[in-house]
Amino acid sequence: MSDPVVIASIYPDLLGTYGDGGNVITLRHRAALRGLPTEVIAVQPGDALPDGADLYVLGGGEDTAQVAACEALQKDGALARAAQRGAPILAICAGYQLLGTFFPDATGSPAPGLELIDLSTSRLPARAVGELVADPTDRPGLLGADRFTGYENHAGGTTLGPGVAPLGRVVAGVGNGDGTEGAVSGHIVGTYLHGPCLVRNPDIADQLLEWATGSPLTPVTEAAVADLRAERFRTVLGG
Amino acid sequence: MIGGQVILRLAPGAIDELAGDRVAALVSATNGKTSTTRLLAESLSQAGPVVAQPTGANMSTGIVMTLSESAPDATVVLEVDEAYLPRTVGQTRPRVLLLGNLSRDQLDRMNEVAMTARSWRRMLQEHPDVTVVANADDPMVEFAATAAGQVVWVAAGQAWTSDSAVCAACGTLLGRGDGTWWCPGCGRRRPDPAWTLAGEEAVGPDGSRYDLSSLQLPGRFNRANATLVLAATDALGLDPRAGLERMARVDSVSGRYGTFRVGDLRIRLFLAKNPAGWSELLDVMPPAPEPVIVTINSDYADGRDPSWLWDVPFEKLAGRTVVATGFRRRDLAVRLTQAGVDHVVIEDPYAPDAPLPPGMRDLPAVNCCATYTAFHHLRTTGEAL
Repeated sequence: MSDPVVIASIYPDLLGTYGDGGNVITLRHRAALRGLPTEVIAVQPGDALPDGADLYVLGGGEDTAQVAACEALQKDGALARAAQRGAPILAICAGYQLLGTFFPDATGSPAPGLELIDLSTSRLPARAVGELVADPTDRPGLLGADRFTGYENHAGGTTLGPGVAPLGRVVAGVGNGDGTEGAVSGHIVGTYLHGPCLVRNPDIADQLLEWATGSPLTPVTEAAVADLRAERFRTVLGG
Repeated sequence: MIGGQVILRLAPGAIDELAGDRVAALVSATNGKTSTTRLLAESLSQAGPVVAQPTGANMSTGIVMTLSESAPDATVVLEVDEAYLPRTVGQTRPRVLLLGNLSRDQLDRMNEVAMTARSWRRMLQEHPDVTVVANADDPMVEFAATAAGQVVWVAAGQAWTSDSAVCAACGTLLGRGDGTWWCPGCGRRRPDPAWTLAGEEAVGPDGSRYDLSSLQLPGRFNRANATLVLAATDALGLDPRAGLERMARVDSVSGRYGTFRVGDLRIRLFLAKNPAGWSELLDVMPPAPEPVIVTINSDYADGRDPSWLWDVPFEKLAGRTVVATGFRRRDLAVRLTQAGVDHVVIEDPYAPDAPLPPGMRDLPAVNCCATYTAFHHLRTTGEAL
């Protein structure tokens, strides 16, 4: 038996508003399909983040929780060290925003982020709520990813810096607000896709696991997931 | 509710006028409004006729219809939507306000939980004369209720803590343990309760015990609802014990827990609308291996985004076969797969040739959990038994 893939689930009580805990469940599930053992460390604010985790996961959350989480992570410092050494990080919605330089707090004023990716977020003219479909970009940073599906619910529009590639190009929905969706920088993936993200996009889960283990995974397609994806695309895009 | 809309258009002040001084209590919460209101109406009926909404229509139009159709001398008890509560308190001047719990509910159309708590808090600052009966175990409810002039605290429990992880006052992560909670940041803590739910019993302020095992409504959440009602009954000067006797006669509430014939099956129908409700509902399902039906829709009234399925511990259903149905049955199927729960995906389990799990057709009633629109559809198309 190989060493388990250690997954740090960061502040699930603060950042986990839209079923984002399903991302960690799916990482374990996709790993188990390949016989890879996993270990999940649920980190609560006040606890130190593990420095040696193989993969870090942040979910979405309400405005006040987002600010509290960001302050705790700033103080802790381990996530910045993880990013520095190239550990894979998945960050959803509020978690995605707080990895940048600024994001709007509960009053709409800019709050300082962790500056792990060159991006910044400000308020959208109207809240983005609904199904989100995006196609992988030409320079996706992800290998062989299929069309993305998820559900977005956020008030922030995100502008990417010059060195940061979007995760995808929006086919339906709002995403970053400028026709792009999400961001990929090194082994950090940020996205507005809930649903949860990895449940509906197992390619991203597999990519994160490959980065974490340093070795390619055998492709696995699950019929139930394929059915769900097909039904979502049919419903959102017609046809 | 067309009638209600017409009344409010012709007479925008109709709720004020119709309410007069006969509104004994308003009930609000994310979960359990309809059941709690029904239990409270039963309890208060010990002193004479009580009117409540017949259908759970809990916004302005439903409230004005209930008031306009009720006898002018009847005591009134109303359930009120969380967002409509501040204006309704001003319009109806209740003597008691019963506040049960706050958790996220279809966030794609509702306020965030903390926003609701803040609006309730402002409401109580503006209405210091109302007596509040509030769940001390829910920190979001406490944040609102502590602003009231008079509060009867009830330790009614909080099975779902994920939406009150952070202090509503200062943003610090709350401490929890030994059945209590506290804020290490600003010193808020659970108030000492006058009433306590302890297992199958409620304990009153004088130490007297009320056996809640007599209730026909199932689950810990209904014992919590009943404990809040006992406290409200007491606050209104009536006898909690006589109230409990009446509560124990309730066996279904607007279709919830009712038995229906739908197609070839007899089902017992359960409603849950959000992760907190689902989580507690799974606890009252029969033990494995008895199969159950779970119906997930994502229409407007259900919430368009069913990703909350991943917040619900469906692992609790392991050891049986679940029939996954509803428009979002595929989302449920993936959730059940990863929870290790055996399931079959069936578009219409009520069709005569539906490939149901063995033995399901022979059950006296199949337990069926449903989201709002699915519940409503089954309740209105099924034959009540």
